[in-house]
Amino acid sequence: MNELAQVWTIARLEIGRAFFSRRALWVYLLALFPAVIFIGHGVDVTYKKQRWSARGATPANVLKEIANGASDEEVLGKAGQPVFDRQWNRRRHRGESEELEDVSRRTIAYFDGKRLVQFDFEGGKLTRTSQRPLLTFDEDRAAFAAVFQYFYLRLAIFFGCLGIFINLFRGEMLDKSLHFWFLAPVRREILLLGKYCAGLIASVVIFGTGTIIAFTAMLAFQDSAEMWSYWQADGAYHITWYVIAAALGCVGYGSVFVAAGLLLRNPIIPAVVMLLWESINGFLPNVLQKLSVLHYLQSICPVAAPMDANFPPALRMLLSPAAPTAAWQSIGGLLCVTVVVLLVASRAVRRLEINYGTD
Amino acid sequence: MSDFIVFKDVSKFYGEVLGVNRVDLHIPPGITSLVGPNGSGKTTLMNLMTGLVHPGSGTITVRGLSPFQPEKLMRILGYATQYDAAPRGVTGYDFVVAGLLLYGYAPGEAERRARQAIETVSMTQAADRKVAAYSKGMRQRIRLAQAIAHEPSVLVLDEPLNGLDPLVRAETIALFRNYAAEGRHVILSSHVLQEVDVFSDQVILIANGMIVAEGEIKNVREEIHEHPSQFLLHCQNPSRVASLLFEETHITEVKLDPEGRGVLVLTRHRDAFSEAVQRIALSGVEIDGVVPTDENVDALYEYLIGGGR
Ligand SMILES: Nc1ncnc2c1ncn2[C@@H]1O[C@H](COP(=O)(O)OP(=O)(O)OP(=O)(O)O)[C@@H](O)[C@H]1O
Ligand SMILES: [Mg+2]
Repeated sequence: MNELAQVWTIARLEIGRAFFSRRALWVYLLALFPAVIFIGHGVDVTYKKQRWSARGATPANVLKEIANGASDEEVLGKAGQPVFDRQWNRRRHRGESEELEDVSRRTIAYFDGKRLVQFDFEGGKLTRTSQRPLLTFDEDRAAFAAVFQYFYLRLAIFFGCLGIFINLFRGEMLDKSLHFWFLAPVRREILLLGKYCAGLIASVVIFGTGTIIAFTAMLAFQDSAEMWSYWQADGAYHITWYVIAAALGCVGYGSVFVAAGLLLRNPIIPAVVMLLWESINGFLPNVLQKLSVLHYLQSICPVAAPMDANFPPALRMLLSPAAPTAAWQSIGGLLCVTVVVLLVASRAVRRLEINYGTD
Repeated sequence: MSDFIVFKDVSKFYGEVLGVNRVDLHIPPGITSLVGPNGSGKTTLMNLMTGLVHPGSGTITVRGLSPFQPEKLMRILGYATQYDAAPRGVTGYDFVVAGLLLYGYAPGEAERRARQAIETVSMTQAADRKVAAYSKGMRQRIRLAQAIAHEPSVLVLDEPLNGLDPLVRAETIALFRNYAAEGRHVILSSHVLQEVDVFSDQVILIANGMIVAEGEIKNVREEIHEHPSQFLLHCQNPSRVASLLFEETHITEVKLDPEGRGVLVLTRHRDAFSEAVQRIALSGVEIDGVVPTDENVDALYEYLIGGGR
């Protein structure tokens, strides 16, 4: 039987375990978390929009004409029933004196179909007008980029692969079933490859789907015209690269954790070491940066994640990709790292002995 | 290609713990039983033979193949282990089929072979139930079915008769005999010699990680009956005593006690030995006392031959 066929047979027999390992069901929570966030956000916005529009949206030009100094009754007269209206009194010093006085305050808000326009009154006079869009496409896309890079690539896929891949061998050692594989007429390297493929299929499907659902959720609630123009311009390209980045994350982290599961008994140690390594990677000399999975993944992401200028410099350094590389170089680099790690793992699997005794 | 299973000076330590020590074996085809008490190293020997653990030193070949090449060895070898773990959520039938798929049999052929193997161990009735819900003896049998499904020429079975009812037991033994009659190896283990001596072609007695006796059952029995005993002779002039003892034919081995207490003697004839000691003492050479040094070993032989208590 040729060995590729064996890899496939092993992957097929193993795939169910990879998807539904008792020890790794929490992986789904991680994978779907961004989707939950964006769906939640979208539902919230839709609900508000519906509630406010039910009272009839106020035309934007009517609201635009209202100027500071207008009285609340005037505004109500012009613009009609608001979606939000609150009055209260604030006690304060009159000028510089000790004397106290009550000032009435009122906040009224209107919805023009897209934006919430808010009027603040003090003593019956309009003092401040502010607008807040209910949904900003640019902001949401940036939020997606940030969630994807800072949460998904760094944590969700990282820990997800940990859960899926580290158990490929270690889990069977704990279940006392690894010897069934070792007694098959299969080279150990082929077994490793078969199991790795099973883990890869499971993780790519789980996290690829997670990415697509979150991205779709992010788009679904946007204004449809805006969404279509984005989709035709960059959208399809962006989601493709997000999915590629997620898949390559599984490729890279998967190889690291399948090796860790073979070399070490305790899964916490490689997780901590790896997380530290990936975090300090930005500070390392250029050569060492090449030995990181995240380094390449960040270069593949289609949209640079927003970086708040207020972050302390150390944190900025930690979060930013140090020296961005071209996409094809990144993919090549990542695959090289994967191959090297898998070679190390195949040496370990050849030496692995069945030892169900003490754990 | 040799037809033997060969261990050459094989030792295996688990960290500090001795698994087996300096084992030399030359096992011909036929039924061979490994017999020894708990922790004596039976499973270790079988795991070494099948590549589940690797020797610390020495070499092993199974019909000319190395345990480090499962892709070749497992085509001719089937091993039903002692580990009672069952794969989760799988029926007995699926379990056997899964094993066969890795041999590259087409699905139809794998299914046919699986049914046949399950039939052989009389598990057809329960084949479509989950392995996890089997009784201990049933799990034992389904593991046996998996081990024989590809008709290996070397069948290794760790305590295969444990927990089997008399009927199944007789069937299983008949299966071993058939296999052996076709020139295959059947290696099995047991705690008790009496359990296996009737149908084994040869036995290997093992204790504390060392081979104690090996060969056809008749010879092994004799060997056990006349097993050598070791004594320590306390004396002032060990080398003189040693040279006198050398002349006695019934003595297997004489050596100076490394701790300087006297002479260590190995003999198969205790009576002749005590007569010799008396003669030496009477001849004027001072002997301060005679102490048997390995009552543990004596007890072990009692155990092996007596069927364990
Ligand atoms: N994985 C392990 N780690 C540490 N020590 C081990 C391990 N496996 C076996 N040993 C030790 O090696 C020795 C031989 O064990 P082995 O399992 O080969 O005995 P056995 O003859 O099969 O015993 P049993 O009849 O109980 O099955 C024992 O002292 C045991 O404690
Ligand atoms: Mg054992």
